[in-house]
Amino acid sequence: MNIPLLPAERRAEFDAGLRHRAIRGGIAVVAGIVLVTIFSGFTVSLIVAALVALALYAVPWDLLRFGRFVVPAAAIILAILYPYYRDDLFQIPLFGVFPSTDTAVTMTIFIMMAIGLNIVVGYAGLLDLGYVAFYAMGAYTAAWFATPHFSEYGTHHIGSVGVSPESPGFHVSIWLVVLMAGLFTAIVGVIIGLPTLRLRGDYLAIVTLGFGEIMPQIARNGDDLFGTGFNLTNGAQGINPIDPPGFGNAISDLTGLPSDYLTFNADFLGKELGNIEVFYWTALGLLLFTVFCSVRLRDSRLGRAWVAIREDETAAAAMGVPLMRTKTWAYAAGAFFGGIAGAYYASFKGAVFPDDFFFNISVFILCMVILGGMGNVWGVIVGGGFLAYLNQEGLGNIGAEINETFGTNIDVPLYQFGIFGAILVLVMLFKPEGLIPSARRKAEFEEGVSDEPLYDVQR
Amino acid sequence: MILRKRGVLGFLILLVAVLAFAAAGCGGDDDGGSSGDGGGGGGGGSVEALPSASCGPIRQGSEEPQALIASDLPLQGSNRSLTTEMADAIEFVLEQHEWKAGDTVLGYQSCDDSTAQAGSWDSAKCSSNARAYANNESVIGLVGTFNSGCAKLVIPVLNRAPGGSVAMVSPANTYPGLTEGGPGTETGEPDNYYPTGKRNYTRVVWNDQFQGAANATYADELGLKKIFVLNDSETYGQGIANLFVKYAEKLGIEILGNQKWDKKATSYESLASRIKSSGADAVFLGGIVCNNGGKLIKDIKAGAPDVQLLGPDGWTPISATIEGAGASANDMYITQPGIPVDQLTGAGKEFTDGFTEKAGKAPNPYTAYAAQAVEVLIAAIEKGGTDRAAVSAALFETDITDGIIGDFQIDENGDTTLGKVSIYQIKAGEETFVKNVTPELDFIEG
Amino acid sequence: MATQARRLPLPTLAGRLPGYVMPAVAFLLVALLVVWLGVNLYKTPSEFYGLFLIGLTNGAIYGLVALGYSLVYGILELINFAHGDVFMLGGMLVATMVASFGLAGDSGVFLWAMILLMLVIVMAFCAVINTTIELVAYRRLRHAPRLAPLITAIGMSFILQNIGLVWKGARPTSVDSILPRGEVFSIGGVAYTWDKLIVLLFTVPVLVVLVLLVQRTRQGKAMRATAQDRDASAMMGINVNRTISFTFFIAGALAGAAGLLYALYITNIRYDEGFRLGLIAFTAAVVGGIGNLPGAVLGGLLIAMIESFNNGLGWATPGSDWTQSIIFGLLITILVFRPEGLLGEQTPEGG
Repeated sequence: MNIPLLPAERRAEFDAGLRHRAIRGGIAVVAGIVLVTIFSGFTVSLIVAALVALALYAVPWDLLRFGRFVVPAAAIILAILYPYYRDDLFQIPLFGVFPSTDTAVTMTIFIMMAIGLNIVVGYAGLLDLGYVAFYAMGAYTAAWFATPHFSEYGTHHIGSVGVSPESPGFHVSIWLVVLMAGLFTAIVGVIIGLPTLRLRGDYLAIVTLGFGEIMPQIARNGDDLFGTGFNLTNGAQGINPIDPPGFGNAISDLTGLPSDYLTFNADFLGKELGNIEVFYWTALGLLLFTVFCSVRLRDSRLGRAWVAIREDETAAAAMGVPLMRTKTWAYAAGAFFGGIAGAYYASFKGAVFPDDFFFNISVFILCMVILGGMGNVWGVIVGGGFLAYLNQEGLGNIGAEINETFGTNIDVPLYQFGIFGAILVLVMLFKPEGLIPSARRKAEFEEGVSDEPLYDVQR
Repeated sequence: MILRKRGVLGFLILLVAVLAFAAAGCGGDDDGGSSGDGGGGGGGGSVEALPSASCGPIRQGSEEPQALIASDLPLQGSNRSLTTEMADAIEFVLEQHEWKAGDTVLGYQSCDDSTAQAGSWDSAKCSSNARAYANNESVIGLVGTFNSGCAKLVIPVLNRAPGGSVAMVSPANTYPGLTEGGPGTETGEPDNYYPTGKRNYTRVVWNDQFQGAANATYADELGLKKIFVLNDSETYGQGIANLFVKYAEKLGIEILGNQKWDKKATSYESLASRIKSSGADAVFLGGIVCNNGGKLIKDIKAGAPDVQLLGPDGWTPISATIEGAGASANDMYITQPGIPVDQLTGAGKEFTDGFTEKAGKAPNPYTAYAAQAVEVLIAAIEKGGTDRAAVSAALFETDITDGIIGDFQIDENGDTTLGKVSIYQIKAGEETFVKNVTPELDFIEG
Repeated sequence: MATQARRLPLPTLAGRLPGYVMPAVAFLLVALLVVWLGVNLYKTPSEFYGLFLIGLTNGAIYGLVALGYSLVYGILELINFAHGDVFMLGGMLVATMVASFGLAGDSGVFLWAMILLMLVIVMAFCAVINTTIELVAYRRLRHAPRLAPLITAIGMSFILQNIGLVWKGARPTSVDSILPRGEVFSIGGVAYTWDKLIVLLFTVPVLVVLVLLVQRTRQGKAMRATAQDRDASAMMGINVNRTISFTFFIAGALAGAAGLLYALYITNIRYDEGFRLGLIAFTAAVVGGIGNLPGAVLGGLLIAMIESFNNGLGWATPGSDWTQSIIFGLLITILVFRPEGLLGEQTPEGG
């Protein structure tokens, strides 16, 4: 059979690869079908899903000419169509149903943050334990510029949706707000980074941890900042409501896109769509943007500079890589995506409270990066998605299933701390390069790096 | 080019296959065990259960439920025993009504808005729960929330719900801004929470304005002239501390300071020293006991032994305060909206006795509120049937006589007309009832 | 580990400004601090003494925990995040023991015997936990990039916190107060109670014993040698694994002792106490100079004083709202401007 796009010289390799993977994939798929059928019953969706998975795995796509794009494209299409087929999917044993579209939005947002942290930790090798500060900054930017919070400064609307035009305060379109949040957070990231990035790894971790703790305290005390009476963050009461995203009436009349996400209701391709689906698709769009940027950064000169300083600072400096500037760029890039994710999440939830931001979130996002494979974007997506799902729905589902099957009354979400901690420890001990590692990272962990920082604290 | 066309063709085939699969999923019937959001046991026929990740299984009577009511409470963290008791009380009341409200057969699910990680309500969970309730057509009423911060997120979502605003009755929210403007609220409240313009939220407790005023009035009665205020820098604590300050100053009491206490601090001895040096005769602790309240009381009493401690209902269950602070909690006054459980009469007494028999111990005051809240909801469903908008509207016509917590109506804001605050004192490690105070409305509003 | 490699000195911000700027700024800050303390001392002397004593006592406890951090960092260059949680578990064990032995009403020799017994038990308990953690989680990662054991430490910290959460619940546990609270002496109306003295009486000998251990004994010499150059020590015949385990054992015992003191003095223990205290203790260790044992205690005292004065003084004080930010701000400032700490660092690279 003449397979298009396959050069003749690759033929043998292709066949061998196909056979090898088809066998492995076939066994896994059959085992999966049997398992699911035993526990949850047989459904058509199970067979179709199995076939699609097999097709994507077994065929060595990267040997075909445009094959590199097939798996990502299929993944994107499956993700976009998720709200349509989600209800018909089979039930996974132990985990229960597939995540609802609501959970999928939260998962997507956390994956975005994980990709941002991946740039700092995975690409540049800087341990950042205060990522929650960037998330908070992004969220509060949305809170300042899309709520009636600053009413005493007059009424300023720039493309706002979902509020009446007389509503006081700053109301900027969420698209602009998201961008502003990203830029603002990046600037703050640079400011934080300038004095601290010269510290060696473990000190940097503690300092970022410190910033991660200071930020929520400022948020909590922000209703009377330093006694001046200026209400920056409204303290513990939080800021609400935050305007929803939307395209405004003009564009909506023209194209049918939702004018205001919260009041959206339409019928498209046989399914009734509500606000949750549009939130999901927008989040997916932002995620794709983040992934795109991340991949481009990785393959750029800056990305290579990051790899260089990660592996051997001294050699990198000797080769002319400007250490401080490169590290600061890593920080800024990570902060940018954290800010975007934070701002969008705030708009999705509709309010922001200082209690939303605590240290465990930083560790949680770090866990996502580590489980997935530091430095590998796809690994981070898979690992991140899985952990975000566990956090939102998974543990609760597992608990419900266990209690139902065995009649026990174990509160599984109570063990969340311990489970995530155990994941961190186990991954680091046995597979530190993560689930889907990059080859380079794997080598780094096995062969070791010249880890001594160039600048040190010696006098 | 032929090669390119064939590659594109292969690609398109894959695309079409996936789309066909999706379309097949849309059109046809649902398969066996995977309809809707799945999860909970019980009825799969006419009601759609709420996701089992947040909600327990459907509790129901002998008949299949036609509609669902849910409760949204923080089931993790330090309030766990109280909130699980409240959920049981709701089930108890439904059992008393034989799971029927008029002609409608009801089912009930208890949902959790907290995470173990946060140890209390979580804003992401609150908003996703709210969306689940709003989008699930079987849900016609909600008993919740417990925390006012969570309510700020839930009310607007339920208000905008596609099938009509979902009726909501809270047994415990005390933040004033949810139902009315005035002292202690911010600009734009409460209309921010009702984007459709029509109300759907009521509560059976009265808001913190009453409690703050009652505390201030009683402090004045006790002859306390200089009070130092502390708050736990959370929504409830800060709110009630600010309200107390407002009303106390109205009565001429001098407020020496309004500082936050850090719930994660090691000790508060230095804070106590500050209080002592300020010369205060009393300290008002605006916050909840789970925020390291026990240690705070111990240290204040050690550092400033002569101050009188005052606290709002964040220090209930009083047993928790006694357990946390030991002997130092003696002589502290704690207020609670409503009247003590053992002073309830009529339907209240019946409920208390029945529930004590079933649960094996006397109910907490908040449990009585939860029971009352579901009674109000049942009454509204009797009037409105399964139509969400009708049930919401019926809430505001509530007129209860011989209810569990007494006789009251719900006014057009959603607040109750009851306003009694009871004051307890801890004496020798036991809570003793002191008296009831009902602050005047014009004192509160003015 | 290449300790002999020459490394460039840190191009600090200080290095770029004219020579007089940094000392002038430091002088100004110290002057402001002195003025602030002085005015408060003048205005409210008895409160000042009281706060000073409070700070002294808390500082001793922070110092004990910081010692453990410093020891481990000195030898492995690893921030053992789990150390604070080991301390917390020790405290919980003490709380359980006090409750189950029913010590609440006792006094005299029996009480002291029981306290010593509890001390031995809890020190052994925490030492064993700490050594096990090292064996399980850190030993395999000795040659991995620095990020790896750090992340494992965070993971272990989480696991221990969960154990604490399940053991005692989310609400803080109150410990029966069994230490005598009578007055030792009193200055200006402020009483210095026995329990505060007991804390100091415990901490000072422990510090002395530890310093002697490190400076005078063979094991101590092995520890210092391993800290300086692991490969060379191995070549000299020192059993590196055993030495590191021994260090963790000692650090664990210190955490246990600190846990006992904390539980008995503060009479309150929470499952997330360890993390918070761990951060403070690490800040203390850094402020004093990481790896430097007296420095750790000095750092602990300093931080506790800051906390105490900030919460308690009345004139021009930021107040308890800002204590945490001030402490972290201090940490960041020290790390940026004087990373070797106040007393100077003693790690393989420095000192």
